Amino acid sequence: MLAEGALASGCRFFAGYPITPASEIYEVMMRELPGRAGLGLSAPDEISSLCYCVGASLRGLKAMTATSGPGWALMIETVQYALMTETPVVIALVQRLGPSTGGATQGAQGDVWLAAFSTSGGYTIPVFSPSTAAECYELVQQAFDWSERLRTPALVLSDKEVGMTTEVVDDATLEKIAVHERPRSTRHPSRGAYAFDDPEEVPTFTEVGGDVKVTVTGSAHDQAGRLRKNSPEVLEVLQHLQRKIEAHAEEMALAKPDLDPDARCLLISYGVTARAARQAVGMLRREGYPISFLQIQTLFPVPLRALDWAVASAPFVFVAEENLTGQYRAVLAPHLSGKQVFGINKIGSLISPTEIVRAVQGVMS
Amino acid sequence: MAESVYLAPDVQLPYCRGCGHALVVRHLSRALERLGLPPRSVVLTTDIGCVGLADSLFPYLHTVHTTHGRSTAFATGMALAEVTLDEHRLKPIVMVGDGGAMIGLLHLVHAAQLNVDITVLVHNNFLFGMTGGQHSALTPLNWVTATTPEGNWTPPLDLLALLRTAHAGFLARQYATAADLDTTIADAIDFPGFSLVEVVELCTAYATRWNRLTGKTLDEAMQRQGYRIGEFETEQERPTFIDLYRHEHGSHSASEPEPQFEEVSTRAQLEKELHLVVAGTAGERVQSAANLLCRAALAVGLYSTQKNDNPVTQGTGFSLAEICLSPQPIEYTGMESPDVVVIASGDGWKELLANGTVARCHAGTLVLLDSEVEASPSVGRTVRLPLRRQANPKRAALAGLAAWMSMTSALPAAAWEAVLTALPAGRQADTAEAIQIGRRLAESGNGAVA
Ligand SMILES: Cc1ncc(C[n+]2csc(CCOP(=O)(O)OP(=O)(O)O)c2C)c(N)n1
Ligand code: SF4
Repeated sequence: MLAEGALASGCRFFAGYPITPASEIYEVMMRELPGRAGLGLSAPDEISSLCYCVGASLRGLKAMTATSGPGWALMIETVQYALMTETPVVIALVQRLGPSTGGATQGAQGDVWLAAFSTSGGYTIPVFSPSTAAECYELVQQAFDWSERLRTPALVLSDKEVGMTTEVVDDATLEKIAVHERPRSTRHPSRGAYAFDDPEEVPTFTEVGGDVKVTVTGSAHDQAGRLRKNSPEVLEVLQHLQRKIEAHAEEMALAKPDLDPDARCLLISYGVTARAARQAVGMLRREGYPISFLQIQTLFPVPLRALDWAVASAPFVFVAEENLTGQYRAVLAPHLSGKQVFGINKIGSLISPTEIVRAVQGVMS
Repeated sequence: MAESVYLAPDVQLPYCRGCGHALVVRHLSRALERLGLPPRSVVLTTDIGCVGLADSLFPYLHTVHTTHGRSTAFATGMALAEVTLDEHRLKPIVMVGDGGAMIGLLHLVHAAQLNVDITVLVHNNFLFGMTGGQHSALTPLNWVTATTPEGNWTPPLDLLALLRTAHAGFLARQYATAADLDTTIADAIDFPGFSLVEVVELCTAYATRWNRLTGKTLDEAMQRQGYRIGEFETEQERPTFIDLYRHEHGSHSASEPEPQFEEVSTRAQLEKELHLVVAGTAGERVQSAANLLCRAALAVGLYSTQKNDNPVTQGTGFSLAEICLSPQPIEYTGMESPDVVVIASGDGWKELLANGTVARCHAGTLVLLDSEVEASPSVGRTVRLPLRRQANPKRAALAGLAAWMSMTSALPAAAWEAVLTALPAGRQADTAEAIQIGRRLAESGNGAVA
């Protein structure tokens, strides 16, 4: 479904390297792209995969690759290049149990930090986290949309359980969004590839190979793309890279609240664990226990408004995720001051609805 | 001056005095001039290192300054994008050092294999210039560098010999001081496919400071290494990747859609979620049997999820699938306690013991066990069926699932018919027979257990 969503977004270029549990996306793209006027390519490693995608995107094509933790580790230099050169590209990161080679056929949600905190300088890369096949379809479109609109790399962070479980999806309910193209008007052609008036503005894109000369560089540069040192303009460009994302943080922030005004506790989850969490919420409510729930779909930038709204009346907050150290709980912690925050964590297999119910009841009763 | 079309006329070259990079830049400009390539049809893709300073010298070309060693990979991506762009013709020219060539070696190998239409200029000054003269994979024996103060004792890599084995179409080695270097570069750019020129040059900041080097001693060093100088068209022109891709997929026809099946009017009589596990031996179509069951369930209006598991090597050991069937969309896809377990072989039984499924059965769990499997589940109701013997091992899992379906009223039999008609003709008879065997087994005596 992720591959289908990418194709629906207008993805025309895919380069991949086999890795469980992302290989299915690779295989579907290799099969489908030739018939849809695109190119699917087998790369000799994950560094090449992402470099090929970025190269194709510099020519104006929507491009994607898919990998898992070990491959993502190899891509981090290139994702920073895409960020610095403001080149749109989408990476589907299908998590498996780490660290290192880890458990290739076991799911996990252990790459949240690795995905989000992979840039020198701590820049925000949009990260979307689907919990179902249908959400894979929807959120990869969001990733393409924001990647194009903001000229940034974007990630879809799924996992083995979401990526490799076959499930029935009702076609009629699938959301299709109108994926934007990167801004292309050549408003400042003479001022170069990275020209902006306001640091929040996204520079218009000019493709390499067209009539207007393009200067691209991963080095610190001015608005014309010229390598510069100690120039105030370089610092402006660096700040702009973060500010253009922050300016759209709320628009990008997708979360699904299911709130109960009487609830004193809020359960937060994302990805595959959100499925168990939804079920646990149903079980608790059937027992007459009021509880609020927030599924976060945009992990980064953090959907602060939805979070503030959801926690407002709940002094107790539970964050359920399939990792050892509560990676996303730690991300949320600064925004939950004054609340009692508890983690529901596990590795090796799915967190079950019953485990969530017990954890909540254990604290609340 | 004619070359000014490419190289800025008032250019201040950023290299040390005498650095070979300066010569390459001038020869490249002349080569482009000679070929008359429109500046916008070239993208100079520069690597990291002193070699990477060249992009700012060519104000009219597209330039992409990349990361260390990856220049060739970005260029390959830019070149391959042409598959989908009908009109453009863009020639990527890669400028990379010997350091970059080694750290990004697989990009060179793959570009050569694919035969993408790019030209790579390897500036081989035998060491890392920008970082202070450390030795590289191409440093000759006995050379003193910042990291080989006693002289290098690791034999140098012959890049061209290596790329020949990767089917590079055009390979050349030339001194930066050669008067006709521009001709070599022009020939390389003109070559329709992957071409690479190794330019032999000196880093005056480090190589000549620590080693006694002249044109003559350099030449001797090359001869000692058996390095030939000149152009070698190693392969006759062969089709580029793009040519082959277009040939292979020329018609742009969409792939055949999967056959769809009609929903049947009879609906399933399932009130709550049902959890099934089917386990057997890899290669015995366990997971495809589970998939058929999910399709059958869909035909009678149920939601389903299917999670497969197998050892990391997919062809041996166990193979299993966990299935949830439900009248509503399914949230949690895990299985706290299975309602039905179908065990088609000893491998499957062993895995269900190991992964805790057997321990999680409840008193009402129905266990359909192949008669050949030596096992005695202590929880749930066990029914032994000669699945392997009657249906054969490759159809045992499906026969087991079909047996379960005729023992329960949850799914109407019509569900199978809908699935069968949507199968490719070649698989229909075989599948139908497996289902038939399962039904018969369920009805003959054991059916009472439903
Ligand atoms: C991944 C990575 N590792 C190391 C470096 C540091 N680095 C910068 S330039 C350079 C050496 C370049 O040497 P070479 O490719 O031979 O080019 P030259 O400077 O000799 O022209 C290195 C290792 C880097 N930029 N990136
Ligand atoms: S350090 Fe060496 S390679 Fe770099 S510019 Fe100076 S001479 Fe050339």
